[in-house]
Amino acid sequence: MIGWKPWLFPAPSHVLDALLGLMNIHTGFGEPISSHWPRVILEPGQHVRALAPWWGSPLMKAILVSGIRLLEGFAISVAIGAILGLLMWRFIELDRFLGPLLLGLQTLPSVCWVPLAILTLGINESGILFVLIMGSFSAIALVLRDGLRNIPPLYPRAGMMMGARGWRLYYYVLLPASLPALASSLRTGFSFAWRSLMGAELIFVVDKWRGLGFLLEAGREFSDVAQVAAVMIVMVVIGMLADRWLFAIVQRRVQTRFGLAT
Amino acid sequence: MRANSVSIKPIEPTPSADEARPQSHGDKRISTPSGDGVSGRGRLVLKNVSKNFPGSTVHALRDVDLVCDPGEFVVVVGPSGCGKSTLLNVAAGMLKPDSGAVSLDGQPIRAPGPERAMVFQDHGLFPWLTAAQNIEFGLKMAGVPRSDRAARVDAALKLVHLAPKRDLLIHELSGGMRQRVAIARALVMDPAVLLMDEPFAALDAQTRTLLHEQLQELWVRTRKTILFVTHSVGEAVRLADRIIVLHAHPGRIRREIKVDLAHPRNFDSADITQLVRTVRKEIEDEVNRVNAEMAETYWKPQAPGDLGADPGVMGDGI
Repeated sequence: MIGWKPWLFPAPSHVLDALLGLMNIHTGFGEPISSHWPRVILEPGQHVRALAPWWGSPLMKAILVSGIRLLEGFAISVAIGAILGLLMWRFIELDRFLGPLLLGLQTLPSVCWVPLAILTLGINESGILFVLIMGSFSAIALVLRDGLRNIPPLYPRAGMMMGARGWRLYYYVLLPASLPALASSLRTGFSFAWRSLMGAELIFVVDKWRGLGFLLEAGREFSDVAQVAAVMIVMVVIGMLADRWLFAIVQRRVQTRFGLAT
Repeated sequence: MRANSVSIKPIEPTPSADEARPQSHGDKRISTPSGDGVSGRGRLVLKNVSKNFPGSTVHALRDVDLVCDPGEFVVVVGPSGCGKSTLLNVAAGMLKPDSGAVSLDGQPIRAPGPERAMVFQDHGLFPWLTAAQNIEFGLKMAGVPRSDRAARVDAALKLVHLAPKRDLLIHELSGGMRQRVAIARALVMDPAVLLMDEPFAALDAQTRTLLHEQLQELWVRTRKTILFVTHSVGEAVRLADRIIVLHAHPGRIRREIKVDLAHPRNFDSADITQLVRTVRKEIEDEVNRVNAEMAETYWKPQAPGDLGADPGVMGDGI
């Protein structure tokens, strides 16, 4: 063991230990030398059944808190992004003005909104949501606009030929025709939203509502590299699962329906 | 010939259809149960129609006069870029003419509508709907009750021999089947005129011939007025009662040719071949003239020696 500094570079077992520890499962993985792991560490006189259950663990609570924030913020972000995307598609003048602006906003890392959010909204839930929304709505709007522009003009023409006018043209022709665009904008928007949320939670500490970002920051404060690594892994896994198992599947379905899937 | 049992009923006028059907012809509007009757509706009149696209100096259409009688199969033929599609789009109401008037059975045409059903070159079917749902779409828009829709969709599918494919998505159909669905989608609306914009141009030769035969059969059976646009003289002669040869730059009618051959036609007959030759000669000059014009302005084929750099020294200057 020459030069091994587990406090700088944790062994996988340390990370696993931290991860399970966050889920109220205490093992001996993290101990430097242990001949009988995995095992549950009990305080003297403590009983296994008396341990806090995994679903009440800090990690699960954090995932729940972050998940609720994400749903809240993402819903608002999708609403704003969809309306802007639609308007920019419909009114070319608006797009000339807003398009480059939103593109600029997209290049701005979402944590750059944190100082503004703290000053204007304070360190609270709305501040976090603000950062999340600012970080993701522009991507949704831009991707949706581009997708809508790719709707073949033949579809509305065919729709009009068959007597679809006004709202019916929008509802029965343009809305279904825009589904591929909508699916990819949701997918892009989600990854932006998740990243922004994690960034925001890292800095905003709202008491009682401790998200994943808070756990990451707590790991740093206690110089617990293993916990930092464990929380990062959780963030990546959640982002990946949502993308793979939710948005990719939705997108795939739409594309198959449209004959676009390869 | 197959028994003419399939008839497509006219759509009941609904309050939602803001383009009222020509009521003056109400008593004459027969839902032609067999192929021998002429419905009496479907008189498409283009009068002195001119159309100029912004930014273009030449007229896409200039003073075009065209009357399609009810039940007539009119084919407009001409070189590419001569304004054929513009003509059709004006008739469909997709484009407003700069001057002149377009009317159907005495009613001026202002907007696209189901009584002037169009079949597009790229079919324009909705990929998110099945074949049957695509055909049903127009009926749904017209407010036809669900119970009536199914029967009419089935009839239309049978008309184009696609009943077994009803639940397939569009991308699961072959090119020829897609066009047949597009034709069924147009016919199910019981339009007064069928406007066809090079519908078979993207198909292979065998499929095209098959569809020519089917279209003839359909036309004989339904006796719709058809305004058909193509760049293929062979196609025009096979299908048309009357061929309109369009002149390019500016687009205007150069000649009309009556094709007095009985339907259904045998495409290999000497008559057809002879007529194709005659008409081709008619428009050959026109095609050549347009091609020469295009070549002047855009690109001229050059002899290999004139291409400038000697291929042997290619890249030397880099």
